[in-house]
Amino acid sequence: MTDPYEILGVARSAIAEEIQKAYRRLAKKLHPDLNPGDRKSEERFKEVSAAYALLSDPEKRRQFDSGEIDASGAERPRERYYRDFAAEGAAGHPYENRSGYADFTEGDDIFSELLRRHAQEARRARGRDLLYRLSVEFLDAVNGATKRLSLPEGGSLELAIPPGVQDGQVLRLRGKGAPSPGEGEPGDALVEILINPHRFFTRQGDDIHLDLPVTLAEAVLGGQVRAPTPTGSVVLTVPKGSNTGAVLRLKGKGVPRSGGRGDEFVRLKVMLPIEPDPELEAFLANWAPGPDYDPRRDLQP
Amino acid sequence: MIIAKLEFLERARLDRETLDLWIEEEWLIPARRAPELAFSEVDLARAELIRDLTRDLGVNDAGVGVILNLVDQVHGLRKALADVLQSMRERSARSDAAASKGEDRDRS
Repeated sequence: MTDPYEILGVARSAIAEEIQKAYRRLAKKLHPDLNPGDRKSEERFKEVSAAYALLSDPEKRRQFDSGEIDASGAERPRERYYRDFAAEGAAGHPYENRSGYADFTEGDDIFSELLRRHAQEARRARGRDLLYRLSVEFLDAVNGATKRLSLPEGGSLELAIPPGVQDGQVLRLRGKGAPSPGEGEPGDALVEILINPHRFFTRQGDDIHLDLPVTLAEAVLGGQVRAPTPTGSVVLTVPKGSNTGAVLRLKGKGVPRSGGRGDEFVRLKVMLPIEPDPELEAFLANWAPGPDYDPRRDLQP
Repeated sequence: MIIAKLEFLERARLDRETLDLWIEEEWLIPARRAPELAFSEVDLARAELIRDLTRDLGVNDAGVGVILNLVDQVHGLRKALADVLQSMRERSARSDAAASKGEDRDRS
């Protein structure tokens, strides 16, 4: 960068007010957002801004004057200016304003006709889509529910959560977004669904997985146990000799999908009594398992 | 691209109170309202313009609203003008093409 004093056109002895005045005079002419049709001045404005950033800070100016730092300022470079967005297509941004030429659309020549068409398109532009995020309970996501989403700007939205909704799925509420700036349709409300984890169910696609604790007796002798499912508990037959890790399938007890439901997979987990049990200990002390009973057989190196 | 509120504050170098004020004045219209405010790149670029105006150019609050309104009108005008120019160019290209077709026919 060249000499910042030169860029701003001030003397090295200039006081702060003079520097500010010089900057403001230049910025008015060069700021890209205040001169949207001027493509040539952007570089110049960046230089002017950097020079001003340096000289308007007394400490930096002192360091520069005494040669401690050079003029290559540390000012973060601006990536894009507002005008770059404002110039984008008709569905651009919420700040559009057409009142600057509304009166020109009234004549009956070709220019009025073109402007009229332009204004009409703008008037018919849809309102913006508004984005929301809603966390729902695991079971509400599986079974469906109706939720009320209260909006920070006041009011609320009624939202029917379809059974089997997926984590991250976006529900569209037609017409519940921002109103059109003109006479067009309002935008939509887009609600992203976040599903809270459940205490004991997990979900994989349309299937529900559950670890079901069973007693030693239920595992060895078999029996009927109650197992929770998303729609209430059911009686499950544990076959005789079921081990930890055995998986039983409850058909149709999973997540609703088109044309039915997924399944629930129940993985058994054999639990010993929490308190030490002298009878069990006495029994096992005298119990000799068969020669094939080596649960660590597969771990032999 | 959606920018979360905290990232927006950081990138626009703003504090919360100032941001709230700008939203209240409708200088900024956030892209998302719930559960947390969020913004788009156009809001960020606009925030930088507002900051330039208030900090470096010494414009007061009343002036900012006036300037933003005029800047948005200028953009509306520029877009309308670009549209009209585009249509005119297409028209003249069509009539040129028609004219040269006519010449071809005359020649044959």
